[in-house]
Amino acid sequence: MISQKVAQQSLRRLAVQQPYAMRWSMMNAASPAAIAIGRNVQTRQAATSANTEDPTKILARQRLNRPVSPHLTIYQPQITWFGSGFNRITGVALSGTLYLYATAYLASPLLGWHLESASMVAAFAALPVAAKILLKGTLAFPFTYHCMNGLRHLGWDLCLGITNQQVIKTGWAVVGLSTISAIALALL
Amino acid sequence: MASFMRQSSLLRQTCLSAFRQPLVTKNVTGVSQVVAFHASAKKQILPPPQQVIQGTMNDPAPIPESHPSEGSYHWTFERIVSVGLIPLTIAPFAAGSLNPVMDAVLCSLLVVHSHVGFQASIIDYFPERRVPKTRTSMNWLLRAMTLTTAVGLYEFETNDVGLTEAIRRVWKA
Repeated sequence: MISQKVAQQSLRRLAVQQPYAMRWSMMNAASPAAIAIGRNVQTRQAATSANTEDPTKILARQRLNRPVSPHLTIYQPQITWFGSGFNRITGVALSGTLYLYATAYLASPLLGWHLESASMVAAFAALPVAAKILLKGTLAFPFTYHCMNGLRHLGWDLCLGITNQQVIKTGWAVVGLSTISAIALALL
Repeated sequence: MASFMRQSSLLRQTCLSAFRQPLVTKNVTGVSQVVAFHASAKKQILPPPQQVIQGTMNDPAPIPESHPSEGSYHWTFERIVSVGLIPLTIAPFAAGSLNPVMDAVLCSLLVVHSHVGFQASIIDYFPERRVPKTRTSMNWLLRAMTLTTAVGLYEFETNDVGLTEAIRRVWKA
């Protein structure tokens, strides 16, 4: 602290008594007069490091050291995001079934498969009752869930029911209603 | 002068860190408790891929070209298709099955809805910067499958009993 005061005072004294000397020493720039009489000395700092590596490479390497954002497994299972993920899973399952069936139906004459409705009905009728109910339920639950949850999504697009409590309530309501209606459809 | 200033700021730092020091609790082995959050083994599910910098380091993020079939128009189109599917989904339950025209409309909307849904899934799960080739091939696979599905459903509608009627018959079998 004392040394700081001493330095400050001597700098002030210098500034008052020899303003030009002060300016030259502080700004490290020669005045026009100094240049005219050849009294200026240009000083240029030499590079202190001999690092010639491509700076973009350094940045790329630093980026690899950044933490990776955590994956879904660290989050607590909650109806809000489980319901949303299940909506996509059911949608992909239903659309995948449609895509595979329609494409197979198109290719069936070439492959000699019988996928027309009459043979499908006959094949399904030959199954035992438990298998029928299981198959119907497996198809019905994704359908009911995706349809009902789709209504929720369309509601959110209109800013309806977007508070956390409402999302939780409607989420569980969709789980309950879709399960009940899927069981009803399976037993139909 | 400049070097003097630097020194004083250094002094200030050491002063502050001297105050901070007692707050860092240490256990018996001398490991700081502050790092306990990172104590478990590092198991990254998706480790960062090869990092590349295109252009210079300070380029702004590119602004995508606006396109009428992307962004908000695309979003609105998706919603219109989804809303259109609601009555077409309820009607077969009320009427037993749909007439051929409505059945064809249902199939068309289902194909569009499915295509858009698969497209969104591909965009989400096959990021272009991570798996550019897989992304492209999945997009082309989707286009091909959508085409075969559309033609297959057209065949089913014209040569068979129609989607809703077929489901009804299988369900009642």
